[in-house]
Amino acid sequence: MEVTYKVHRKDPENGGESSYSTYQVELPEDATVLDGLQKIRDEQDDTLAFRASCCQGSCGECAVRINYKAQFTCTTRIGDVTKKAPEILLDPVRNIPVIKDLVFDMDRFTWNKMAAMKPWMEPDDEFAPTENLVPESEMADVRKTMSCHACSLCDEGCAVLPVNFDFLGPAAMVKGYRFVMDPRETGAKMEARMKVVEQPQGLWDCVHCYEADGKCPRGLTPSSKIMEIRDVAFKEGIKHEKVGRHHASFINSVKQTGWLDERKLVMETEGMTNVTGLMKLLPTAVRALRRGKMPGRHEKRPGADQIKRILEKAEDSK
Amino acid sequence: MPQYDVLVIGGGASGLRAAIAAKRAGASVAVLSKVHPLRTNSALSPGGLNAPLGNDDSAEKFAQDIRNAGDGLCDTEAVNILAADAAREVVWLERVGVPFNRNAEGRIDCRPLGSSSVSRAAYADDRTGHMVLHVLHEQFQREDIPCFAERFVTSLIQDGGVCTGAVALGHRSGQLETFGAGAVILATGGATQLYRPCTSAVGTTGDGLMLAHDLGVGLVDLEMVQFHPTVYSAARTALISEAALGAGAKLVNAAGDKLVNAGGLSRAQLAAEVHKAGQNGGGPVSLDLRPVDNLASRFPAAAEVVRLMAGIDITKDPVPVQPVAHRPMGGIEANAAGETSVAGLYAVGECAHNGLNGAGRLPGNTLTEAVVFGRRVGEAAAAHAKSAGAADAGGSQAAQDGERLAEITSGGTSGDTIGAVHRELGELMNANLGVSRTDAGLAEAQDKIRALRERHAALRVNNKSRIYNYALAGYIELGNLLKLAEATALAARGRAESRGAHLRSDHPEKDDSNWKAHTVVRSQDGSPKLDTRAVSA
Repeated sequence: MEVTYKVHRKDPENGGESSYSTYQVELPEDATVLDGLQKIRDEQDDTLAFRASCCQGSCGECAVRINYKAQFTCTTRIGDVTKKAPEILLDPVRNIPVIKDLVFDMDRFTWNKMAAMKPWMEPDDEFAPTENLVPESEMADVRKTMSCHACSLCDEGCAVLPVNFDFLGPAAMVKGYRFVMDPRETGAKMEARMKVVEQPQGLWDCVHCYEADGKCPRGLTPSSKIMEIRDVAFKEGIKHEKVGRHHASFINSVKQTGWLDERKLVMETEGMTNVTGLMKLLPTAVRALRRGKMPGRHEKRPGADQIKRILEKAEDSK
Repeated sequence: MPQYDVLVIGGGASGLRAAIAAKRAGASVAVLSKVHPLRTNSALSPGGLNAPLGNDDSAEKFAQDIRNAGDGLCDTEAVNILAADAAREVVWLERVGVPFNRNAEGRIDCRPLGSSSVSRAAYADDRTGHMVLHVLHEQFQREDIPCFAERFVTSLIQDGGVCTGAVALGHRSGQLETFGAGAVILATGGATQLYRPCTSAVGTTGDGLMLAHDLGVGLVDLEMVQFHPTVYSAARTALISEAALGAGAKLVNAAGDKLVNAGGLSRAQLAAEVHKAGQNGGGPVSLDLRPVDNLASRFPAAAEVVRLMAGIDITKDPVPVQPVAHRPMGGIEANAAGETSVAGLYAVGECAHNGLNGAGRLPGNTLTEAVVFGRRVGEAAAAHAKSAGAADAGGSQAAQDGERLAEITSGGTSGDTIGAVHRELGELMNANLGVSRTDAGLAEAQDKIRALRERHAALRVNNKSRIYNYALAGYIELGNLLKLAEATALAARGRAESRGAHLRSDHPEKDDSNWKAHTVVRSQDGSPKLDTRAVSA
């Protein structure tokens, strides 16, 4: 069948403006999108730049957007695309600086962000003569998590990265999860690990939109994993100071009055002695006051004692 | 010019292990890789890595199994080293993070793989290579070793018979960069892209073999190419770990009858059986995985890749399979420390021939070989670099390579293409240097490869840019493959016997009196010359 490919182009040596090239390619119906790209480069336009390696959905190298959906070119059949749209539209994945055509800057994106997780073990008994004894039940989840391709498709779906490029993103957090949940890292190593995972732009900057959960080709649910790491942080003690204050203020407020004292929450989160931080919040407070969004007196609600008991019970059960 | 004690070329399992070891031995180290390390072919190795960890196992038993699979061509030193070091390396991998499957006692579980006499393959589902590669990359980052990814090496630099560095084209920078080194380790992987179909990533084009060959280093036992017996292959390929056979999967013929009792057969014998059954209208052979307990959870990678590539649900239907080119046993002539005939040049892993794999590699040994010899070769190169001191790599090689790249990109050719020549080469190799070979077929292959080389020489790349110019890289890769094909056909024609992976239907018997020896191909006056060398006891 003859297929129309419309492919994103960018030539860094020639102005670097984005444009599209259109190609007509004759392909068998069960060909992959990658087959077509290779044919175009071989027969029509050898300036076209795109990445590929394993060609069997195992390595993560060929991630692009195919008709607006981020996926691998090597596992996507052209027939599946063309039955929904007249042409195959190929763009680089979102949120990532593009270098050339469909080649984007993985260094600044996934690689550096994953490296910020200090993604390695430093066991004290690295050269012990025998392996760690670990029940299979504790290893299975770590192993499943480690099947991550590092393909960047979860980062592509992230809602935070378009507004804050410095956010480490779901792929890095999945890498963090693999260590947090690994039964072989305990004690002081685990403490240190949580500090790394909770670094600024890390664990606490996810806005839990859960977009990433639907993006992983291996079904790894990165957003849910971030929430699981947060659960660990709640149990182990939050290492991120500001988040820790926020959490404590929230809990105290609800325990004492049955509802949230937002003024106190803001001030205690920033830190009562943090004058610069508090001053920065002043204009927001004034605006809120003017629009009647600043609550008046914060008094104990009916049923507050019952709410306190529920909270304490929840705390006990963790 | 960046200067390192040890320069590792190749970011797969062998290269990363070598780099870690060299750094820990006190050397300054850098890695050059065509693709990011996590995109290398090591990630595709599914089944496991052998180590005698079980109570019923020993280094001696392991060594015997390796020798049996190697069918007379194993060199003793490499076999004994692997058998002795494997357990230690696998335990180290576990300690630094590989999430191996566990047995009831919480120890590393070992499963049966191929023709091993005991269950010896440590595994992480059927994604062992992926997990080992990712953990090695973690430890590589821990050592803070510079990684120059997406660098295509165009030349090794040689000065007075000593290798002093390499020149690489940076895909991103578009520049030819010179790297000076006290020692260079080739860990560039195999050359399975010689064949179509094949099980390996697009980058397995034998670049390292040709870099060494160009410096006069011998290429050993090239005719020994392992075909994997359980690969789905139509428009695309999907490899199913042979571990599935050990777990209860069955090979069945078109009538649904069990084809063969796989237990105890070498991979070459199994491939030959599947090949034979599929010949002469025998109809397709299928792998029926349904008898495997907890199939989807034990073989998630097989389930995924077969679903993606073949559209088949392995829990519901048998998968048509055929033997597909998988892994060369031959490679750059090196000893167990990775040393080649050029001072300062080392080779390790799938690109190297150190005598371990003989005429048939024991399934499950690729990853073990990568880590055991990666470490040893990394340490040897570090020691060499220290004693050799810094050498001047100069800049003249880069200038020469620049002229070569300019010539390649000097305009268009019409009609013929890189892809067409590569496709024809792959199909020719599969037909004439496949599971079964004949003298006439090999002679024909030699003629046709010569013709393909001429077509390649006449081709030019239109794209003059050096930035992410994959057509330019592809042209050089194809040139490497064609030269390697020529050398492989020469070796295969020379070996007039059947042994291990080399099955000659015109010489069906093993001929120990003449051929219990390695073939060695060297470049002489620009063309390959065949020689032999005794197997070392």
